[in-house]
Amino acid sequence: MRRDYRRIFGKEWNTVKKVSKKTRNEWYWGWFMVAPTILGLIVLNIIPIFQTLYLSFFKSGAFGKGNIFVGLDNYKRMLSDGQVWHAVKNTIEYTCMVVPVTIVIALLMAVALNGKLKGKGIYRTIYFVPMVAAPAAVTMVWKWLYNSQYGLINHVLNKLGMDSVNWIDDPRVALISISIIGIWSTIGYSMVLLLAGLQEIPRDYYEASDIDGASKVKQFFSITVPLVSPTLFFVLVTSIITAMQVFDVIYMMIDVTSPSYDSTVSLVYLFYNNSFKYSDKGYGSAIVMLLLMIIMVITVIQTKLQKKWVNYM
Amino acid sequence: MKKRLVSAFLCTVLISAMAAGCGNKNTSEQASNNGEENSGGEVTISYACWDSNQAKLLETVADEFEKENPNIKIDIQVNGWDDYWTGLEAAATGGSLPDTFWMHSNNIYYYGSNDQLLDLTDYIEKSDSVDLADYPEGLGQIYNIDGKQYAVPKDYDTIALWYNKTLFDEAKLSYPDETWTWDTLKDAAKKLTKDDGSQYGFCAGLHNQEGYYNFVYQNGGKIITDDKKSGYDDEKTVQGIEEYFSFVKDGLSPEIYDDQARAEAMQNGLCAMGLFGSWNLSGFAETEFMTKNFDCAVLPSANDGTRSTIFNGLGNAISATTEHPDEAWKWVEYLSSKEGQERQAELGTAISAYNGTADKFAEAYPMFNTKCYIDMVDYAQIRPYSNQTSVWEDKAYEILKGAYAGKEDTKAACEKTAKMMNEALGAE
Repeated sequence: MRRDYRRIFGKEWNTVKKVSKKTRNEWYWGWFMVAPTILGLIVLNIIPIFQTLYLSFFKSGAFGKGNIFVGLDNYKRMLSDGQVWHAVKNTIEYTCMVVPVTIVIALLMAVALNGKLKGKGIYRTIYFVPMVAAPAAVTMVWKWLYNSQYGLINHVLNKLGMDSVNWIDDPRVALISISIIGIWSTIGYSMVLLLAGLQEIPRDYYEASDIDGASKVKQFFSITVPLVSPTLFFVLVTSIITAMQVFDVIYMMIDVTSPSYDSTVSLVYLFYNNSFKYSDKGYGSAIVMLLLMIIMVITVIQTKLQKKWVNYM
Repeated sequence: MKKRLVSAFLCTVLISAMAAGCGNKNTSEQASNNGEENSGGEVTISYACWDSNQAKLLETVADEFEKENPNIKIDIQVNGWDDYWTGLEAAATGGSLPDTFWMHSNNIYYYGSNDQLLDLTDYIEKSDSVDLADYPEGLGQIYNIDGKQYAVPKDYDTIALWYNKTLFDEAKLSYPDETWTWDTLKDAAKKLTKDDGSQYGFCAGLHNQEGYYNFVYQNGGKIITDDKKSGYDDEKTVQGIEEYFSFVKDGLSPEIYDDQARAEAMQNGLCAMGLFGSWNLSGFAETEFMTKNFDCAVLPSANDGTRSTIFNGLGNAISATTEHPDEAWKWVEYLSSKEGQERQAELGTAISAYNGTADKFAEAYPMFNTKCYIDMVDYAQIRPYSNQTSVWEDKAYEILKGAYAGKEDTKAACEKTAKMMNEALGAE
């Protein structure tokens, strides 16, 4: 799939100088068709980014009026604010817990569901359901499961003779509890994408390797993984970006009064609290710019590294 | 390769922007709720509040008001406490506040001094049914900034001690009354606590108004001084907080951080006693378990006999940007009139602020000793507030919770809180 795109791009790039009227007409139509989306992106996303950047140099006044320019003060304050660094650490830890586990499980499940399995349509639906459910509602349900006194999970643990775990208020456990929700709710989405990638792989490779006597495991590592790597790369990049922006689960589950607040607060949650709870939108904007920088650096590194492991057929 | 890099970069930028963009959502939703006009010349006045129990009762008041004023429709909007203020600020920034809404001492200055609220001084002067002299003086004063009145008192609330009668009977203890002091409370808590953790004597959740603030003022301490400095570094304040936190340290109370979990701990029979504000009554009266097993009493005094309870009152405010100020005033005027206040008290919405109507509220909940809430007004202390209370109030929780869990020295945490609070007060 990718390969085809590249060819099309390449071709058009080479012939840019002598465009026929027909091609040009096609371009216009193309632009016309994507215009609504691009307009939406500009209004809803691109302009706000620059506004946020602009706001991060101000001490915001009440109700968006009377902002005072303070230069880099918000950034200086951020560098010496322990909570921001807690948040950076928590965000990265969360990402490191969620992304690898999600991708490994999603890949294995995608491979299983790609084979001949009875009722795989049902399984696909079941795994995809968490993705469709509203995160706030999902978190409320999990919050009950995690409840240290009346929760189902602790009830089961007690029945098995184990001690109760304080899933939400124990600073050492809370981030893991949150990661579990994160993994549970994103597996389905990654799986569906990977499944699409798997279906692109021609069956001939498997047949040929069967004749050569390759085992299933060998096939998985030598055929499946390399050939699904473009999709895997896409899933990796988007999963990391989504994980870095974790907010709703933590917001719903951990209040500022909770003892595990410091060990779970993510950058977006901190941004939210500063901007909307403490009405300090300038400082909140600076925090979001930091997040943007971190995500950008990670994404650039990933795109650089991809030629080492991603195979475009 | 380059193209992919560019697209990945764009991807990053776009997705990150979602975080920045989410603030706008509330505004547009609120805007669409606002200023709706029905075809028959009817005017819809929105009324925002944060208590779903009260909202149900206010629905009745609104129906009666609509009957008398057929051209006005009241649209009651409920949002939980935290979301209420986040949403209200977003709405104010976007110029689309609800027509009328509840105001709190924490936020009145922020909204009033930034021209978000309609100045009601003239309206009150011209009105036949509203006179601020009919309300307790301290309450009206909360909503007055530089001589301008921005809200009319709606109700007041105090904090009382709730106890589980059944658990007291089991332990053969006499019920709390006005003779109780901190020592009696502690002794009773010890006797009511079971070693296996299935029952605690007291519920000392990490909460200010329904928690340590009461102990601070009973001990003669202060949260905020008259010249607007933090009182957290006052020795008496620290002692009060230490006394409250000691219930957790001595194992007489579970560690509870969540607001809702405090009421649950009582309703599940986990805790035998706890502090709860009068606004909980309508919710408590609905639970059969509570009406059967629970009652309330005045707060215990400090060991030297000093009494105190935290006292606060809400106000009804009108947005400065409302399209129908006269209709909005009619609604607020009705809510604030003797008739409206009596009606709210009868229904049991909250303790009505209008002088002399409070007893009707006690009658609305005959199953509890509701009168104790009203009796405590004589020595009640207004909930400490400054121009931007919410900024330091929640941050205080962030700093104090280590000490609450017994991981930090309370005195050191209080000093840290005082430092933070003085910085916040200085920036106001």
